[in-house]
Amino acid sequence: MEAKGGGGIDNIPYYLGILLQGAGITVTITLGALAIAVVLGLVLAAFKVSRIPFARGFVDIYVEIFRDIPPLTSLFIIYFGLTYIGIRLDPIPAAIVGLGLNGSAYCAEIFRSGFAALHHGQREAAAAIGMTPGMAMRHVVLPQALRITLPPLGNYGIGLLKDTAVASAVAAPEILYRARNLATETFETPLIYLLVAVLYFCLTFPLARLVDRLERKRRSWS
Amino acid sequence: MKALENLAAFFAVYGGKWESWSGEMWRALIVTLEITGGAFALGLVIGLIVAVGRLSTSRLLSNLSLAYVEITRGVPALAILFLIYFGLVPLGVIIDAVPAAIIGLGLSAGGYIAEIFRAGIEATHKGQREAGLAVGMTGGAIYRYVIIPQATRIALPPLLNTLISVLKDSSLASLISAPDIMLRAKDISSTEFLPLHILVLAGFMYFLLALPLSFAVRILEARMRRGLGARLT
Repeated sequence: MEAKGGGGIDNIPYYLGILLQGAGITVTITLGALAIAVVLGLVLAAFKVSRIPFARGFVDIYVEIFRDIPPLTSLFIIYFGLTYIGIRLDPIPAAIVGLGLNGSAYCAEIFRSGFAALHHGQREAAAAIGMTPGMAMRHVVLPQALRITLPPLGNYGIGLLKDTAVASAVAAPEILYRARNLATETFETPLIYLLVAVLYFCLTFPLARLVDRLERKRRSWS
Repeated sequence: MKALENLAAFFAVYGGKWESWSGEMWRALIVTLEITGGAFALGLVIGLIVAVGRLSTSRLLSNLSLAYVEITRGVPALAILFLIYFGLVPLGVIIDAVPAAIIGLGLSAGGYIAEIFRAGIEATHKGQREAGLAVGMTGGAIYRYVIIPQATRIALPPLLNTLISVLKDSSLASLISAPDIMLRAKDISSTEFLPLHILVLAGFMYFLLALPLSFAVRILEARMRRGLGARLT
């Protein structure tokens, strides 16, 4: 489909088509970064509750650094900075790694507080009825910890989806990048950026409703 | 040993560049602080108004406020910045990069801050309000002497967390060409071919700015936990 000469409302389907292709990239970056953040976050949380002082200190410093540095900065360090030592990543993988590393600090905190929220009596009770630590983890700790961590993880996912907009700065062809290109071609910036806002809202709003429902459910359990 | 030498050589570069970089990065730091401070102040004002709207008995006001919160929470701050800085130009509204960043980030932070205020106000038990009425206080006096002092204590840690977020989000202003830390770092990296050095320095600057706030949050949270525990026992 081509942009029509008339401009304005008639072009909305054409713009939406292009922006929706960007939405695919946005979702790809979100899911990729989420996977890295969750896996790395679990490992970091396990270190944090371990008995090795060095590992605990390392996690503290790691979490503090990534909590305090803007995602845009870590993305630029990975995309532009690492070329200095010969590492050259494409925009989309760079965005996935950058946002994933940034998010792993948040996920580590979410998992840590999720585990901490479980009363230690539960683990002792499991041991008392003869469960091995592994069984206690699988049947007692994890099912409850997962329920506790799901709402904050969902909130993190929403924040992450919004943060993927910074990937436009390294030319990853996600929603905002395509919008910028469209805007410079057509000069219909108000309409295009309004469509962008609506599109992001349509992506995040259902997730936000889902998280709300999970939170309400959790409150009714406790 | 080789790795240590490499590391030392990496940091030695800063020594030679200090003179030319420090002045520019200092000015950039001021711009970042301006944007952060301005956006947070605007966010507090918007947040207070929206929170009061949310709790008002008027259906229309509370729904409008809810819509505001949902929209600002669902749309990336960067998209709001682009909408304000690029999007309004054809309509004849041309705003400089720094004010545009302050307005955009302030609008975005306002939604989060409104929810923090609302949660703080709702967290004070309604029995307290009734007790205030019972001893003959007016509605305003109850807010002033009973609810606000307690709500502030509850809201302070999340407010500081929001301030950290605003500081980090201020880096987005570089993408609409506000001369903040990230834009200067990007400029220097493209002229001097030392991208890793200058970007690591930029990250370190944000880290140093956010670290005291982050410690303050932790101390306040620990104190509040103790306070709540004392009340329960």
